[in-house]
This record gives sequence, structure tokens and C-alpha cells, in this order.
Amino acid sequence: MVLSERGEHVLIQTAPAGKAPARPAPGAAASEALAIELTAMTKRFVNPKGEVFTALEDVNLTVEPGSFCAIVGPTGCGKSTTLTMVAGLDRPSAGLVRVGGEPVRGIASGTSFMFQTDALLPWKSVLGNVALGPIFRGTSKRKAQSTAKEWLRRVGLAGFENHLPHQLSGGMRKRVSLAAALINEPSILLMDEPFGALDVQTKAIMSNELLGLWEESRPSVMFVTHDLEEAIALADKVVVITAGPGTVKAVYDVDLPRPRGAVQEIRFEPRFLELHQQIWESLREEVQRAYSRTTDTSRTGGDRS
Amino acid sequence: MTALRSSMHEPLALPASDEASIAAAARRRARNRRLKVWGARALTLMIIVGGWQLFTAQKIVDPFFFGQPTGIVSQLKDWIQHGTEYGSLWLQIWVTMKEALLGFLYGVIAGIFFGVLLGQIAFLADVLGPYIKVMNAIPRIVLGSIFTVWLGLGTSSKVLLAAVLVFFVVFFNAFQGVREVDRNLVNNARVLGASRLAIVRHVVLPSALTWIIASLHVAFGFAVIGAIVGEFLGATQGLGLVIASSQNHFSPDGVFAAMLIIAVIALTAEGLIGQLERRLLAWRPPSPTETAAGA
Repeated sequence: MVLSERGEHVLIQTAPAGKAPARPAPGAAASEALAIELTAMTKRFVNPKGEVFTALEDVNLTVEPGSFCAIVGPTGCGKSTTLTMVAGLDRPSAGLVRVGGEPVRGIASGTSFMFQTDALLPWKSVLGNVALGPIFRGTSKRKAQSTAKEWLRRVGLAGFENHLPHQLSGGMRKRVSLAAALINEPSILLMDEPFGALDVQTKAIMSNELLGLWEESRPSVMFVTHDLEEAIALADKVVVITAGPGTVKAVYDVDLPRPRGAVQEIRFEPRFLELHQQIWESLREEVQRAYSRTTDTSRTGGDRS
Repeated sequence: MTALRSSMHEPLALPASDEASIAAAARRRARNRRLKVWGARALTLMIIVGGWQLFTAQKIVDPFFFGQPTGIVSQLKDWIQHGTEYGSLWLQIWVTMKEALLGFLYGVIAGIFFGVLLGQIAFLADVLGPYIKVMNAIPRIVLGSIFTVWLGLGTSSKVLLAAVLVFFVVFFNAFQGVREVDRNLVNNARVLGASRLAIVRHVVLPSALTWIIASLHVAFGFAVIGAIVGEFLGATQGLGLVIASSQNHFSPDGVFAAMLIIAVIALTAEGLIGQLERRLLAWRPPSPTETAAGA
């Protein structure tokens, strides 16, 4: 438990530009941030019984280069599916996904993905896990490890290089995931409820760290969550997705000034509360619709979709 | 009544204790338990072997059919001093070991290779699946006769039989292990830019290793069986041949003595595989059952 105490409360040390030769000065991203454009994107799945199920219907959405876009919606509305399509892990059934103006065909090199559950290899040390990205892209092992060391320092895990993932607390594992996702200097960062499994305090700390790291290199972010407060505190734009089949219901611009500061405090600002009120109105309907649908089907035992 | 007394006794003794004496008490308890377990083990052995000796000496059980512990020991002494009828005992052990180890090696390599290949390529698995099931359903020991016809009385027919027996055990475990790999880990590696080969090397193989190593324990047993049965079916050297000739001479002591040697070999191999397992799977978090089974 001593470990988690030490790791959890160290805030990120933002590297001075001179001390980190591998990184450019804050603001000038190493790889140019790219726009993400979804045009009339539809995704249907065929289940083993041969029934067609529509997860996403006619989704139109643009994420400007270097902006932070949060996607909220009820459970099962296809939020995560959207991300896998942008990552190139899956293909839309109809419509177009473009990154930087180019249609997505397979996995692109400038994309990083942070999954809801830990995607760390349990048999590799913390350092080995973070170094995987550069190694997969053909960097020499020694260079990858020195870059990984630098990134571990940035997320406040210096000294934990040789620990195994299961020896760390949940929050520390998230830091490792964050370092592993950012080490490739992505132009696009996709996050699928990355802090969903954390307790409230750890989640707030991790959100602050994410903002700090993001503001240094400014990749375009798509951040899926069902925590509306988290979405508003982090994002420039909050997109509400309807209950399945998912489509864009409304887009809200979050005009809170940046840098945002501590996410624990920003939620008391009048503008934050106003936005929260507005977006929640819109989101609540969808949540209720999704909920009544699940209770309906469980009552009748039938399948409505 | 005694149980009640002892349970009342402990909480009275404990509150006064500091950390060091609690640790000492725990150590003492663990040592006592180990002593008890080993004592009971020795007693069990004495009852079985002593009972065997007693019953055969009293002619309640005919030693002509069931052998006798003292007879087994003198048979072993005789083999060690004068060798078996096919050369020295150590040569017989070496021949059988060589066959079993080579068969084990080839079987494991082939099993892992095809297990990972079919686990990775679903199309291949669907096409070949039924044939593999059919081959698995054949009692493969019978193949030993065919191998002897093909490859003669030398070691290669035994190696092949052992390898075939080992292959299926390792193959099915490797295949299942590859199938059970966390999709999340694979997707993460893909997004990080891993090639298919890199995914196999960094994600799939280490992940399937838990399954593969579990199969090695059983697989080595099969390798020994393959070698012995192969020698039974026709050979010029080896422990299997020694057993077969003891059987022909109506010497149960010889059969049991050879069995004892094989058991020692198998236990040694089991220990080595266990050590390999601990080395390769050192990354696993200790599970509660493992920490409890310290003795």
C-alpha cells in the first residue's frame, strides 16, 4: 500500500523544454494534430443467429485538430464502437471515417487508444510495457527504453520501472497505460472510459494529469465516458449520443477557459453548472429511454430490436 | 472437549505477544505441520511396503505372482552389479531416456507450432479441426506397431511414438491457450503498431504459455509411456525390453524393479518441469492456493 500512496499523489512534473530533448516545446506538437471527421457513418453487426443489429446510424461528427471532444450517451449506444472505427480496428458498414482528410483504412500510425480495462501485458515490467509502442514501430530496444523511462518520469512513476503491473494500484496502472498511449506521440488519442473503474478521488487526479499532458502536445482527443461532469471538465465539445441505434443528438461547446485547472474545483463554477444543466436535460431523455428498454425486454422476455 | 480447550487457550496467550513472538509461533506451527505431514507420509509407505513384505512372506499372497519388496531390492542390486541381459542397467536407462526426451522435444515443438498456427488462423482451424479430432480419437498406441514396421527396432520408432503421444496433449493446450488470449491485449498491440508476428511473439505466446506449461507435466508422462510401449513392441535395448523379458521369465520382481526406476525418472522430470514453470511464469501474482500449499 505504500506504493499506491507514493504513486497516487505525485502530480505530473511538466518537463521544462530544455530538459527533455526528445520532446518539442509545449504547444508545438511533434506529430501534427489531425481532424477526425465522421460522415453519415453507420455500423451494423450480424449476430451468430443471422439477425442484423444497428449499433450506429448516420453519425455525423467533426473533431477539430487539437481539440478535446467528449462523447456521452447511455450504456450500449455505440460510443465505444465509434472509437474502434476511428482507430481502424473495425470498418463502418456505410459512410466515411476520415482522419486528417484521409479515409481510415486499417490501423494508422498516428493513433493511440486507451482502453477501459487495463491493456498492460502482465508478464512485462512497467518499463517493458511502456516501451512496447516504439519497439513495435521499429525503434531499437535501448532507445525505446530510455524514452519509456522519460515518460514514466512524466507520469510520476520514476522508480517503478521494474515492477510488474499486478504490483501496482489501479491508479498507477492507469498512469502506465497513459504513458504507453502517449509515448508514440499520437496525433489522435482515443480514450474509451479510461478512468471508469477508478474511485472518485483517483479519477479526479488522473483527469488533471491527463489535461496537463494533453496541453503539452495537444493531440486531437475523442474521450468516451458516461460521467457527464468528467466530460464537461475535460472537453472543448461534448457530443450526446442517442440510445441505440446511436446517432448524434446534440453537440455542446464547452467555453470554459483553458488551462482548466483542477477538475475538482471547476465543477463549482456557474458556467459549468449551467452547461451541466443544459446537457443533462438532453442526456437524461436518452438514459431513460435506454433504461426503460432494458426493463421492458426483461419483463416481456422478448427482443425489441 | 479438547478442541474447545485449545481454542480457548489461544486467545489468552496471544494478546501479550509482540510481533516477533507471533512470527515465531507461526513458524513453529508451520514446522510442526510439515513434520506431521512427513511423518504420516513415511508411515503410509511403511504400512504399504511392510504389509506387502509380510503378506508375501507369510504366503497369504503368492510372491510368485506379486513379487516381494526384498526381491525387488535384490533384483535392483543384481542389475546394478552385473547388468541386465542386454547390457548395463545404465545403458538401458539412457536408451529409454533418450527416446523419451527426444520424443518429448519434437512433440512439444510441433504441438506449440501447430497449436499457435491454428489458433491464429481460424480458417485453417475450421478446415483441419475434424481431421485432428479423428486422429485424436484413434488409440495412438496402436501406431507403435506400424512405426516399428516402418522404422525398425532402433530408437527412431520409439521417438516417433513418444512424439505423437506428446503432440496431441501440447497441441490442444496451445490451441486453447491462443484462443483464450485477451482480445483487449491484442487490440492494444495492434493500435500500437505491432505486426502479426510481433503480436504472436509479445502477446500470444507469453499468454498461451500458462496453458502450454500446464500440459508439459502430462506430456512428459506420455513421452515415457511412448518410449516404454515402443520398446515392448520390439527393441534391442531399453527398460521396456527389460520389463518385457522379466515378464517372459515370470519375474514380477524384475517388472516392479524396472517400474521403480521409471517412477524415479518421471518424478525427477516432473521436478525439473515444475522449476521451469516457476521460472517462466514468475510474473504471475501469487494465488491464494499457491501460498497456502507451501509444504
